[in-house]
Amino acid sequence: MATTRFTPFELLLLKSRNQTDTAALLLLTWVAASKDGLSEADRQRIAAMSASMRHGHDCQAILDIGSRQDLDAIQLAAEVLQKDRWGTQASPFLRQAIEIGVTEGKLAAGTNHILRFLADLLGTSPQQFAQLYRDVAGKPFDSPEDPSREAYWQAREHARQQQRSQSEQRQHEQQSHHRQRHSQNHAGGSRQGGDRSHSAKTLRALDILGLDAGATRNEIKKAYRRLAQTHHPDRFFALGERDVASASMRFQKIQKAYEYLMQDARFI
Amino acid sequence: MRDLYKRLGIDQAASDAEISAAVEACQHTALKAEASVVLGVKSRREEYDRLHGLLCDIGRLRARLGLTHGQYWLDSAANDFSLAPDNDHSRHDALVSKVTQAVALHDSVQRWRRHAPWIVAGGFAMIATTTVAVGFLAG
Repeated sequence: MATTRFTPFELLLLKSRNQTDTAALLLLTWVAASKDGLSEADRQRIAAMSASMRHGHDCQAILDIGSRQDLDAIQLAAEVLQKDRWGTQASPFLRQAIEIGVTEGKLAAGTNHILRFLADLLGTSPQQFAQLYRDVAGKPFDSPEDPSREAYWQAREHARQQQRSQSEQRQHEQQSHHRQRHSQNHAGGSRQGGDRSHSAKTLRALDILGLDAGATRNEIKKAYRRLAQTHHPDRFFALGERDVASASMRFQKIQKAYEYLMQDARFI
Repeated sequence: MRDLYKRLGIDQAASDAEISAAVEACQHTALKAEASVVLGVKSRREEYDRLHGLLCDIGRLRARLGLTHGQYWLDSAANDFSLAPDNDHSRHDALVSKVTQAVALHDSVQRWRRHAPWIVAGGFAMIATTTVAVGFLAG
């Protein structure tokens, strides 16, 4: 006779007073873990949700299994839910899944695919689910982002760049205050900066252009052209002398970074 | 999302050199450009791989649960990540058969335990009679 050994999740399911609730809890944990690992806030939210369920065992064990994203356990949980089909209970469960899946109004592509899977599993039609999603998240249910397309990465790089230029401007203002107060201190800091290795300098130059370490020569050129256009001092002529001066500082920085990168052998 | 590995005809665990070779050899210009943008950069490839793994899992789950034609399983994701339906891998059935096995094992152990006192007593009686008999013969 083959040995019968139960997996941890099977044991929990057998001990549980309500198998459907245990399965639902595991699937909620799967949704949470798909975002970016299981954060402490998500653990607390799931524990709070489990308070109203009738599974009658420790919720922590489920969280540990779910954070491992064990496919067999997830399949078993999905089968349990599918068998019970849940009729009226389907929409409260999907509501909880959406609440957990959406952070700060954003829905990651992976979580989006999981929610679609859960909606199909419980036999909820796309219209019903879209309505439910709009009720909970306050936004229409979009199709998932597609990282296999170039457009996805361009949009992301662009968003990051805008964020960075904003924070850079803020930093710049802070720094000028700082410099006035502690001029000696700052001189020490800049000397230290000169000692940095060659690759750190390259990285800093890439950072100014809003790129990461893997950028190609073509991407550098594109980023430079875009930034040079937005920060060109002539564009700020109407806004007054001060803006022109700050823009020309930014523009010079961008230009220097670009020139430095172009003479770097690794990008030729 | 499209499965770039499948479309390039390489394994997901392929090395960077293998990928660049496959991209070079690719005949489809649009795919060639996009594959080099996505898979050529390490950080992008890591993120792509994470989602790719998840979609492979979902594809497998859908195949096993009979959801390969779900209304929300559309477009390129469904094209590239769908598998043939298979009903041989039901975890619930496996669990049920495991439980039946465990129950059968438990029953047989119980049966043995119920009979154990009699067997032990019988054994003792046998030993006692043989020793008495041996003692009687020797005496």
